[in-house]
Amino acid sequence: MKSISKTMKIVVAAAALTLTAGVAMAAGPKIFVIGGKADDPFWSRVKKGADDAALVVKAAGGTVTWLGPQNYDNLGPDAAKLIRTALSQKPDAIVGPDWVPEAMDAAFKEVAAAGVPLIIYNAGGMDAAKRLGAQNFVGSDEYVAGHGGGEYFSARGSKNVLCVNTLPGANNTEARCKGVADGIAKAGGKSTQLPLPSSSFGNPTAVAQAIKAALQKDKSIDGVITISAGDATSAAAGISQAGLVKTVKLGSFDMDPTNLQRIKDGTQQFCIDQQPYMQGYLAVSMLNGYVQYGLKVPTAPILTGPGIVDASNVAATMAGAAAGAR
Amino acid sequence: MHSPPASAATPGSPETLGVSLGKLLRRPETGSLIGLICVFVFFSVFGGDTFLSVSGLASWLNIAAELGIIALPIGLLMIAGHLDLSVGSVIPASSMTVAIVSGHFGLPMPVGIACALALGLAIGFLNGYLIIRTDLPSFVVTLGTLFAVAGLTLGLSVIVAGSTSVALKSDPLTKMLLGDFINGKFEVIILWWIGAMLLVGYILGHSKYGNWILALGGDKVSARNAGIPTDKLNVALYMGSGLCAAFVGMCQAILYNSAQVSAGQSFIFNSIIAVVIGGVILTGGYGSVLGIVLGTMTFAIVNQGIYYTGFDANWASLIIGVLLLAAVLLNNTFRAMAISHSASRTKTKAAP
Repeated sequence: MKSISKTMKIVVAAAALTLTAGVAMAAGPKIFVIGGKADDPFWSRVKKGADDAALVVKAAGGTVTWLGPQNYDNLGPDAAKLIRTALSQKPDAIVGPDWVPEAMDAAFKEVAAAGVPLIIYNAGGMDAAKRLGAQNFVGSDEYVAGHGGGEYFSARGSKNVLCVNTLPGANNTEARCKGVADGIAKAGGKSTQLPLPSSSFGNPTAVAQAIKAALQKDKSIDGVITISAGDATSAAAGISQAGLVKTVKLGSFDMDPTNLQRIKDGTQQFCIDQQPYMQGYLAVSMLNGYVQYGLKVPTAPILTGPGIVDASNVAATMAGAAAGAR
Repeated sequence: MHSPPASAATPGSPETLGVSLGKLLRRPETGSLIGLICVFVFFSVFGGDTFLSVSGLASWLNIAAELGIIALPIGLLMIAGHLDLSVGSVIPASSMTVAIVSGHFGLPMPVGIACALALGLAIGFLNGYLIIRTDLPSFVVTLGTLFAVAGLTLGLSVIVAGSTSVALKSDPLTKMLLGDFINGKFEVIILWWIGAMLLVGYILGHSKYGNWILALGGDKVSARNAGIPTDKLNVALYMGSGLCAAFVGMCQAILYNSAQVSAGQSFIFNSIIAVVIGGVILTGGYGSVLGIVLGTMTFAIVNQGIYYTGFDANWASLIIGVLLLAAVLLNNTFRAMAISHSASRTKTKAAP
């Protein structure tokens, strides 16, 4: 017991030292970033962008703090809590996505009311930025991205596309699927949504089997698009188990190395990239510039996507992925 | 120590070999079997030919096999009166381990596999050790390790591999044994599930350890007084669930040629649900391997069958919830019948 209490004392002393050091150093801007789970492959790239931008903030003696939810089961309310957590720490600026406006807008308005500079990124679009009194929006427009995906499908002959949504009800995923549907409808095709319950989210086999079942039930489906890169891997397994690799085209929002490899191998047609790294990087950099030097970018919104990655540009993209930026 | 009712109806004991309908109805698995048949018929009616086709069969068997390999040791733990929530992060931890060791660093597959399985055993050992040393409820301890291991996996993956998802290319032999499709549809893990069923079935039904486990769940203190090495047994059970979760995580990484830090959370409650549908009591002391297998199949059918029906997928969770409750209720009814019968039989025997 004696040795334990001694260790405890050392730990407490060390913690106290770190804290005082932090307070003493906090002369630069204190920026809070609300984002997804750090273990989500997509959000880890946003975070990498924010972390890289944070180097400049830290050089000026400031801090950049990432706040993410434990899981996505209760996304809107959880994220609203994170915004309030950030606000309670007297920040100089806040970056956050407007995933579920109904739940999160009130919290964002408190930020604006407190006079804290705010940038909405990733989700919500310029509408949300204006509504909430934010300086700007950094991200891609989900609907426009989906529309681009729908047109891509049409141009390559797909008539009936399944939009697999493992996060049904969230604004950005719904807009993605709606964009796909409208994009393909322009050329006379159609797209339906397959919402998957949270009990299958995070289990690739469950998602794969659900997609396989949907393909077998409706034989006219000739395209599948998933709302995340990880789900595309499940979709590829589902399509191959249904024996439809030759007839069903596969696309995905966002991307990861496995998706790129499939594009290279020809078992997946494309990914819609919104360049997540740039979202974290630009949002933090812009706020840092504003807080420190009063800089403001006149362009609004700042669109980081969509960009389609397919066989024509997969090699260059893979090089970016190897560097950890894509 | 109250007599473990499940062992009274263990398959293989001469008494249960009789074809008496009454006896059959009072078997602990009967409720689970009827539940399984009900959901199967339900989805055969609403899901039509595709649900009944070979590929419809593969659809739910694949889900059942992965869940089943974890549900078996979780079932043993629950019979012994414990829970293990940490499987939810052992799965991604072992996926990432095999992908980082053999994918990122390019070491031979057997090395990656050994590391992944060793990791599962180590986490299991830690769980068991913490529980016997601290005497805290297993729910709390394994909830702690669930978060701790998830954090370690994320932190170490980012430090070591620089990414939260790592690609993995396996050699053909490993792929064939652990992560391929038979006939393009059935995951090979189904065969491993059958193996696990036989092994765990032997342990619970035909070895002394089975009685120990039932005794432990029935009354911990009496079990210890009766000379059962309860501490060792607890640690072994947790190592079993750690190993099985690691095995499934590893197979998923090999099957999908990649590993992600965030996978696996759905297995925590799904494995418990499967075991409960299989007739195991949440507080321990009662249950059978056949029941757990039937429960797993029921859960998998309910989960997958929905996509073969014409129902709007928005309602899927509602239907899953209602069907699961119905299955468990049915089960409880039959278990109550089985227990009251065996109790009355014991009484009549003891009376004269």
